[in-house]
Amino acid sequence: MVPMAETVQDAALRPGLPSVDLLALQPGRVVGLEGPLGCGLTRLGLAMMAEAAGRGSIAYVDVRGWLSPPAVWELGIAPERLVVVRCDDPVTWGRVVGGLLDGMQAVFAEVPPPVKETHLRKLAATSRARRIPLVLRPVRGELPGGVANLRLATRQVVWEGTGEGFGRLTRRRLVVEASGKVMQGMVRIIEVEDHGTHVVRVVSGLGVAPSGRATG
Amino acid sequence: MCVWYPDWALRRPDVPPDEPAQAIGADNRVVAVSAAATAAGVAVGMRRREAEAICPALVTVNVDPGAAAAVFEPVAVAVETLVPRIEVVAPGLLFAPVGGAVRYYGDEETLVARVIEALDDAAGSGYRLGLATGPFAAHRAAEQATTETPVRRITDDAAFLRSLDVTAVGSEELAATFRWLGITTLGELAALPREAMLSRFGVDGLTAHRLATGEDRPSLPRQVPPDLAVEERFTSPLENLEQSAFVGRALAHRLFTHPALRSAVPHRVVVEAEAADGTVRTRTWRNTDPFDEATLAERVRWQLRAWLDEGRANGGPGIRGGVVRLRLAPADLSDRGRQLALHEDARTAAETHRTLVQTQAIVGQDRVVQAVPQGGRDPGERVAWHRWGDDPPVIARDPAAPWAGAIPPPSPTLAPPEPPRLEVEWDDGMPVRIRLGSRWESVLSWAGPWRKLGRWWDGIPPADRYQIVTSAGAFLCEVCDGLTYLTGVYD
Repeated sequence: MVPMAETVQDAALRPGLPSVDLLALQPGRVVGLEGPLGCGLTRLGLAMMAEAAGRGSIAYVDVRGWLSPPAVWELGIAPERLVVVRCDDPVTWGRVVGGLLDGMQAVFAEVPPPVKETHLRKLAATSRARRIPLVLRPVRGELPGGVANLRLATRQVVWEGTGEGFGRLTRRRLVVEASGKVMQGMVRIIEVEDHGTHVVRVVSGLGVAPSGRATG
Repeated sequence: MCVWYPDWALRRPDVPPDEPAQAIGADNRVVAVSAAATAAGVAVGMRRREAEAICPALVTVNVDPGAAAAVFEPVAVAVETLVPRIEVVAPGLLFAPVGGAVRYYGDEETLVARVIEALDDAAGSGYRLGLATGPFAAHRAAEQATTETPVRRITDDAAFLRSLDVTAVGSEELAATFRWLGITTLGELAALPREAMLSRFGVDGLTAHRLATGEDRPSLPRQVPPDLAVEERFTSPLENLEQSAFVGRALAHRLFTHPALRSAVPHRVVVEAEAADGTVRTRTWRNTDPFDEATLAERVRWQLRAWLDEGRANGGPGIRGGVVRLRLAPADLSDRGRQLALHEDARTAAETHRTLVQTQAIVGQDRVVQAVPQGGRDPGERVAWHRWGDDPPVIARDPAAPWAGAIPPPSPTLAPPEPPRLEVEWDDGMPVRIRLGSRWESVLSWAGPWRKLGRWWDGIPPADRYQIVTSAGAFLCEVCDGLTYLTGVYD
């Protein structure tokens, strides 16, 4: 099982930058996970949901029908706490996710193309009103700007443990770009390490101001 | 199969056999009547005073479930000899899964004849047998059987239940509300939208709707986590009921505070006692509502008394030499009607239920699912899916057993149920690059193969699995008959 994230409060490292527990799903927070298939964002998003699963049932809206529960269980989420809803129809998808925000502790939704921007904004508003965290993972492409309070986009993923025909996957380092309202307009590069514990480490304290000039 | 004795509470030495008699429950209502009392107009459910006013000569006894359970033990043993894995609900009522027994004895008629013969030997007449697919329908069928026709068979549970009165759901208050709304039969109840039942009546309404539509829990055993059992051994055998019952209460407490139980509760519990001579006695107890600690402790006491009395008074096997080991283990687990965890409340649970029923109404019942772990070598094999709201399936493969050739953790987050072809360039058995969409990605590192031998007798060829790492991510693939398939994505 993989324990939940232990975050390093960045205020101590970078005075002036917002101090935020990035991997903690706050009530009503909408997190957008953007990156190609295989980059590790689904596991990251599910790890963020593990704490909510300790309080009650969580839902995973599965567009592809590919979710593999053993990976979810390894994150410490009990089987009886995970409900999978298979919905690949963009027309009913919005109703389904909106309905789930009414009674689940947290919702992870793969986003099928092409869901309208208005529907996504409406869901984000519902999440904030109901104070239920919502994680959105587009199957393809990106989310419209401003839908997610916190946007995590993959920059790099490095797996360790395998060689040339020996070993096995053991540890992963994921470098993501964090942006959005939670970041107060800044863009931060963070590194997530996943090998049985999650550790969020701010890489060199690098932050990028809205104008695009580096400040650190 | 349901075996039911309507008058079991009256089968005691202080009740004269041919005179009008009634047994009174804790709520001062009639729970059992003799034939003579029935002829005089006394009915089950009446208040005691009302019944005595109708029939002044009525003999009244208070129900003693412990004594009744002890007397019922020979009946349970008699049925169990023919049909294993019976489940006792209360003295005078048991269920037995007869699918396997029917095949063993050849046909249902033969089995029923054998059961009737065994019941006649064990306790004489007065039994009612109901045969149906689910326990609820089987019990209702047994209630419709008569002295002249003691066996009632149901071939279509849903059709049978449709005609029953709403009082069959078991709750007087709920039935009265249904009547007030104009719903008088289970068929009318079943025709209502389930979502509306949950919204209006909560979990009780949902349960009533499921029973009305025949979606009953069949009396089949379920696998539960192997460590979810509590046991106590005694250096000095316990020969006294009070001592044994005390330990039974303590074990019930330990079971309900077991960390592996989490927030699930059992409807069926196996009580096992080992005698000093090595004999092991077991009995499965079933409860309509989820067991709680007090109810389970009571059932354990009843069962221990039955076994101890069997040996002392009736000359049966009993528990020779006293109890040296006592064990309690759930035979199933359910989320429905579960005890709420400390940090959960009834409102949250009801909201979740309502939400998921509504979701089922939108996408269909088969698309709201949950999974339970089972044994296997591949991520897909290690999962047993079931519809949300249904009981988890019987697990055929033990997840705790070692599975040679299994892919080690971490598991891929995504696993296509029908693995698509994956284009891989190989160089002397080593993957060099793979095609992801329209791009070719170089293989940075890889591990494997984990060999799967296959089942040649079933036409399943062997396969090799590889973990492949590229700059875009890590993937699990399987090579079979020279073709490569994507079986997992470590997303």
